[in-house]
Amino acid sequence: MNYAFSIENLHFKYPTSKDDTIKGISFNVKEGEIFGLLGPSGAGKSTTQKILIKLLENYQGNIKYFGKDLKSMDKSFYEEIGVGFEMPVHFCKMTALENLKFFSGFYKQTINIQELMERVGLWEDRNIKVGEYSKGMKVRLNFVRSMLNNPRVLFLDEVTNGLDPKNARIIKDIISEFRAKGGTVFLSTHLMNDVEQLCDNIAFCVNGKLNEISTPRDLKLKYGKREVRIEYKENGATHSALFPLEAIGVNEEFQNILKNKEIETIHSGETSLEEIFITLTGVELK
Amino acid sequence: MKCIFRLISGELKRLINYKILPVSLATSVIWIIIFLLISENDAKYIAPLLIYVDVTMMEMIFIGASFHFEKQESTIKSMMVLPVSLGEILSAKVIAAMVLGFESAIITLAASFFIHGITFNYLMLAIFVIIAGITHGAIGFFLALISKDFTTMLGWMMAYMLPFALPTILFMFEIIDKKYDWMLMVSPSHSASELITSAVTGKYEAGKAIFACVYLIIVSIILLRYVIYPKFKDNSVRG
Repeated sequence: MNYAFSIENLHFKYPTSKDDTIKGISFNVKEGEIFGLLGPSGAGKSTTQKILIKLLENYQGNIKYFGKDLKSMDKSFYEEIGVGFEMPVHFCKMTALENLKFFSGFYKQTINIQELMERVGLWEDRNIKVGEYSKGMKVRLNFVRSMLNNPRVLFLDEVTNGLDPKNARIIKDIISEFRAKGGTVFLSTHLMNDVEQLCDNIAFCVNGKLNEISTPRDLKLKYGKREVRIEYKENGATHSALFPLEAIGVNEEFQNILKNKEIETIHSGETSLEEIFITLTGVELK
Repeated sequence: MKCIFRLISGELKRLINYKILPVSLATSVIWIIIFLLISENDAKYIAPLLIYVDVTMMEMIFIGASFHFEKQESTIKSMMVLPVSLGEILSAKVIAAMVLGFESAIITLAASFFIHGITFNYLMLAIFVIIAGITHGAIGFFLALISKDFTTMLGWMMAYMLPFALPTILFMFEIIDKKYDWMLMVSPSHSASELITSAVTGKYEAGKAIFACVYLIIVSIILLRYVIYPKFKDNSVRG
């Protein structure tokens, strides 16, 4: 198994803080997967990402990047990674194209800017100053910026935050295609929709520790209830019944309701990632 | 090397986009008007002061303005994940600010030559302007880093000018006695003024010139390497 990142017992403390912000976390990010790091604000997601992109250096523990010690990587590391920050990070008095051309000039290899800008619907507005862009346009431009060097590993922070469903879909499609071509994605988000649709593995970060690392499906199975709730009509009133999922196919009462009653709804006890997020982090999503 | 040229070129383009270079040019126009209105003798007297102001005070303001524009836009984060070192980013900023100082100095020199036919030791002046420019770029950068916005930075600049630049200006106008010259040299601004004045007037005091050069270079190295570099890095990471 090839790991893009292999993190072992990572600790980090900001010089001005009393306690560790990251308290001994360990996880692996496989090459070619989309790894989601979830958690409430202040949980340590951004700090973890800053460490992985080498913005923060005085950490303890081991981090391997494709088998090499991350600390030994020089600035050529940035030829291989793309970073999409949550906040727009462009020169507002320069046009979108001027911004992208400026940044792309530092890389040895770059993507076709026109192609990607067309795909995200920004090509026609390429000569408009970024300061005049809407929030959604800036978010899409951020995404194009992160893809400029055709990275091997892509770090994305709240990548679809502020996008309408159509544009969010386009961005998610591009991310899926990137993964299909072998790219690795490290996604930091609290948007469970993105997690459901994109992530192969997810980790929940709370107070600088990782509570769970698993696939979205396994987490749903683990935290879901193995039951089926059925709602049906009888004598003009709605009734509800709950059955265990085990041997549901031979449960006579369940079969009887299915055959003889007017069914209104059937729900499995599968939980949502949002519920799992709340259970694990104790924080409600807004 | 290609990266640093690209960074400098980017900095200069942004100085134009953010109207910092045009403001610098406008200042130079004011200097030209002053030269048109004064006699040759007065021009010889005032030229070092104008070059000193351009290379020290104006450069500090320009570097602060550029830094705070970038801070507002969080663009430094985007720069930090480019395959360039923080040292290169920092150098590009100081060099770009120095180019502004140079540009103003060149206009001032050209005005004094074409209006009054005054010539200087241009090579010496260029070397001294570079040394003084780097030091004051570094001081400006430091003041920008400790300020939360540009207005605060201007406040810090005033606080710097009172003990360090004002005595130099008073000295230039002979309000402060010449016997305090050596004492004033501990101020980077005074050392810069000493170098610029000597190149413009052609009256060198070797001891002072060497001291000023060495002192300004040491101040620049200490500031850039041990104060600005770590603070800039910390500031950039925090965004």
